[in-house]
Amino acid sequence: MYRYVAARVGQSLILILAVVTLSFVFIRLAPGDPVTYLYGTQHLSAEVLKSIKHEWGLDQPLWTQYVAYVDNLRRGNLGYSQINRQPVGDMLWAIIPNTLLLMAPSILIAAALGIMLGVAASRRVNGWSDYGVAAFSLVGYSTPPFWLGIIFIVIFASRLRWLPTQGMYTLGASHVGVASVVDLLKHMVLPTAVLTWWYLAAFTRLTRASMLEESGKPYLMTARMKGVREGRVFYRHALRNAAKPVLTMLGLQLGTMLAGAVMTEVVFAWPGMGRLLFTAIIQHDYPVVLGVFILVGVAVVVTNLAVDLLYVVFDPRIRYA
Amino acid sequence: MREGALSWPRVRRATGGAKPSTPAARFWRVFRRNRFAAVSLWVLAATSVLGPLVVRVLVLDPDAISPDELAPPSAKHWMGSDYLGRDVFARVLHGVNTSLLVGAAVAVTATAIGLVLGTLAGYRGGWIDHVIMRVADALLIIPTFFLVLSIAFVFGGTLTSVIVLLGVTLWPPIARIVRAEVLTLKEEAFVLSARALGVSDTNLMFKEILPNTLPPGIAMIALLASAAILTEASLSFLGVGDPNVVSLGQMLTNGLEYATTAWWVPAFPGAAIFLLVLLLNVLGDGLNVALSPRMWGR
Repeated sequence: MYRYVAARVGQSLILILAVVTLSFVFIRLAPGDPVTYLYGTQHLSAEVLKSIKHEWGLDQPLWTQYVAYVDNLRRGNLGYSQINRQPVGDMLWAIIPNTLLLMAPSILIAAALGIMLGVAASRRVNGWSDYGVAAFSLVGYSTPPFWLGIIFIVIFASRLRWLPTQGMYTLGASHVGVASVVDLLKHMVLPTAVLTWWYLAAFTRLTRASMLEESGKPYLMTARMKGVREGRVFYRHALRNAAKPVLTMLGLQLGTMLAGAVMTEVVFAWPGMGRLLFTAIIQHDYPVVLGVFILVGVAVVVTNLAVDLLYVVFDPRIRYA
Repeated sequence: MREGALSWPRVRRATGGAKPSTPAARFWRVFRRNRFAAVSLWVLAATSVLGPLVVRVLVLDPDAISPDELAPPSAKHWMGSDYLGRDVFARVLHGVNTSLLVGAAVAVTATAIGLVLGTLAGYRGGWIDHVIMRVADALLIIPTFFLVLSIAFVFGGTLTSVIVLLGVTLWPPIARIVRAEVLTLKEEAFVLSARALGVSDTNLMFKEILPNTLPPGIAMIALLASAAILTEASLSFLGVGDPNVVSLGQMLTNGLEYATTAWWVPAFPGAAIFLLVLLLNVLGDGLNVALSPRMWGR
């Protein structure tokens, strides 16, 4: 077991290093070197240019620069955005809570509903409920989040005028206390609904497939023969085992889920990572775009590692020698 | 699948002239049973052929500017016009053509890479297998979307580069399936006998084994295309697509600010992406079922 854990941790470190190395390569190959980028149109003498380059370590060999880059990242320094005159790390830390504020409720609602729908569908394979659920998840899975967002804006905000569509708080309104929370919740409804819709389809599909895989196994028959109620057979016995592949897939899908959140944020002008990324792309702010890449990459690798290690703890059958 | 010594005339004689059952016929029989998948296939095929044709024949210029800015859908502009007076229908049609091109090109590239690498890994084993599969694992975990986004952003995303990038990052699922298939195939009698006859390794791999891994490989092709179309749309939505090509994602971003005033500007390109992805996913499910060996006995 310890060998397995050590191997998985080692693998994850290699993957993180791969992400970091890629981003280093990208930033080195990005058009224009940082000096001309920063001082662009100013005519600087060769002497001054040289001293600036020296100050930033750009005259060092690539290898030294790479080591410095990795060392900076290790200390949580994600680089500096010349365009926004701010460290990239600060910019990211400031907006990550906003992204999580959208993603966390969406994932929770989608997981609870999706597991229920998936189990319901798997109980009557090829019945009408199965077809209904399959149709829903197929449609949901195929809906681009940005388009659904626009549809919601048109229907709920533009036609019905029920909900706000842009940002986190009403501009100019200085709500305090409860009023400000209500304002925030109102702004959250539409983007959360879009994300939930999209995640729900994935959860449902995965749960159904995973439950079908379990449904033929003998332990379910044993449970039935012991007189366990049918609902309990599905929700307790089968679901417990079906949950594992669902979790694994979700770990692997985290990147896609983050991509969905990015799109949704752009549509609703939600001040999160997506909005930051979108603005950075328009401004050609390379350190910010690559900072997002590093952050997402590391988050996904670490989540997958955590999911795998959780199995070791919770599944008594796993004793990786 | 190989039929060994049972050639068709012989089978037909043995079965008393009953309908021959070639792999293609069996596939078609199962595939057709899923009406939705069959309809999706026809619609997609028709769109792929008619889309470019209509654009050429009617000379639909996506960039033609007319004085009616932000005109709602009418007989003249079926899907309305945008803020420059450009016909949304003409642009959507061009965008659909682009999306289908991306989907097809990426699916073919990724499948080809997956087939070759999967066969190589499964047949050779050893360090080649190890290296290929570790790269596949890495690509499965590292978030593809953000990787492709970063590369396209840094190096400028032309349509070709986006297609290549997606092809190069989406092959791992195919390679995994193919590799597993090859591991069982390489012990089969026809491979062993071919080897006994002195067939070279390269020929064994690519002429004997690889064709037999096609069904599970092809089963993924529609799903790959749908993933590629959605990713390309997302990339151009975020502004890292090819600015010189009419793309549905780009139309959506540009139309975003008109969502409340001129809904048709963003709604139709979005609907087009949705329909393309939905049709491909339905088709993909159908292909998966029809190409799974489990279904062939039925």
